[in-house]
Amino acid sequence: MSGNKHQYAFFLGCIAPNRYPGCEAAAIRTSAKVGIELLPLKGASCCPAPGAFGSIDLNVWYAMAARNVVLAEQMNMDITLICNGCYKSIWEVNHILKHNDELRDGVNEVLKEIDMEFKGTIDVWHLAELYYDPAICGVDKIRASVTRPLTGTKIAVHYGCHLMKPKKERHFGDTENPMWVDELVEALGAEAVQYRNKMQCCGAGGGVRGFDIVHSLDITNEKLINVKEVGADAITEVCPFCQLEYDRGQIEIAEKFGIKYGLPVLHFNELLGLAQGMSPQELALDLHAIDCKPFLEKIL
Amino acid sequence: MAREKNYGNPQLENKLRDRYYYVDDTKPEFLANVEKIGRTIAHMCYQCGTCTGSCPSAPRSSYRIRLFVRRAVLGLEEEALTDPDLWLCTTCYSCTDRCPRDIAPTDIIMAMRNLAFKWDIIPRNFLQTVQLIYKSGHGVPNNDVNRAARERLGLPRDPPTTHAYPEFIPGIQKILDHYKLKENADRMLAEEGK
Ligand code: SF4
Ligand code: SF4
Repeated sequence: MSGNKHQYAFFLGCIAPNRYPGCEAAAIRTSAKVGIELLPLKGASCCPAPGAFGSIDLNVWYAMAARNVVLAEQMNMDITLICNGCYKSIWEVNHILKHNDELRDGVNEVLKEIDMEFKGTIDVWHLAELYYDPAICGVDKIRASVTRPLTGTKIAVHYGCHLMKPKKERHFGDTENPMWVDELVEALGAEAVQYRNKMQCCGAGGGVRGFDIVHSLDITNEKLINVKEVGADAITEVCPFCQLEYDRGQIEIAEKFGIKYGLPVLHFNELLGLAQGMSPQELALDLHAIDCKPFLEKIL
Repeated sequence: MAREKNYGNPQLENKLRDRYYYVDDTKPEFLANVEKIGRTIAHMCYQCGTCTGSCPSAPRSSYRIRLFVRRAVLGLEEEALTDPDLWLCTTCYSCTDRCPRDIAPTDIIMAMRNLAFKWDIIPRNFLQTVQLIYKSGHGVPNNDVNRAARERLGLPRDPPTTHAYPEFIPGIQKILDHYKLKENADRMLAEEGK
């Protein structure tokens, strides 16, 4: 962060820019409305995917994530991002390397080959936590930015895993029944509905989606049953990979299990974009596998 | 490990030996490796099962995280690394948040996966991700449908990542080559193709 202006290097990851570009567009525009400026982090790569890379060799995962962090160090700017998987890689590796000399030395030996050095001079934030933080933005400012309240809609919040867990290494507090994203959703005028086993995983992580898709979808299906049970109009999350699992996953669940939900899935940034008056076209909601129309009809 | 438990009396030790879990191929260094790579204290486990009870993968498969923690403690390397259930952990960290002994079972799994990779045991889709990143910097690269959508949104057709700045890709390749990751991925996928 530089001075009073809240500027951040925007780490994009893969799924947001390359599959759900509406999440990227929404992040840039919604944050600008609450006084946060996102600047491109040029030359960033995949975070890299913590499930695949972490499973193969944690040392490669440390080094590859560190390269992305160093790009922001060179800009002298904190990173913000919009994906829990990216948060796991970028936040956690930054944190580990700041506190573990042995691992940092190992990473720097490799980075030296490409004239880089991890110095540990910046911090990493999820954009949702910046929205929630009253020192940066806060729920009131989010509420004040709304021009098209999502009144009358019921929204189920999926927190995902890698933002808040493991809790002893994070700073988000309770991971059994958190409410802070629910508060953000209610600030948009929607009702944030509570459902069974809210903190259960979407089923995509750890490489399981690629390794055994039926197993993965069976976990997703359990979440969808629980969300449907309380009459939610949409699911919101803060992770494009969870979004992909719920959105495309519903098509796969229909094919493999013969169950249809038709439940729209929107990233919190897309939801905020709608509430701030962005059109579905400006959010490329047509790229979603599940039609968002039933939800949009309630608010437009 | 079970093998080292004794009364300091060879005769008594011999007599009591069959009262302890005893496997010939138990490897104490397996526990040490898992604890080092996973940066966690597997040996503190008292087998309460809170981890398995929290696990979204347990109710729909034979995967039991508690069993893997036990295998770490007993040094049952081969049994752990060759069990395909090793790959059913979604790394959700629910077990880690609830373990009353402050162990990170998730990171025990990650450590075991790292060790399995050294035995060439790894799901093939993981290797494909390595190849994609080596080529483009992205595990999920851009495509034409998405480029058109980005343009409509007023975003550059390629994001300002390695996609718009491919001059950063050689640096990424150097890191991956340092660990011989691409080489190994290519080899394993080629062997698969045969
Ligand atoms: S919750 Fe912890 S102590 Fe209990 S069985 Fe699992 S790893 Fe062991
Ligand atoms: S982290 Fe893995 S083992 Fe632990 S509860 Fe989640 S899926 Fe199960």
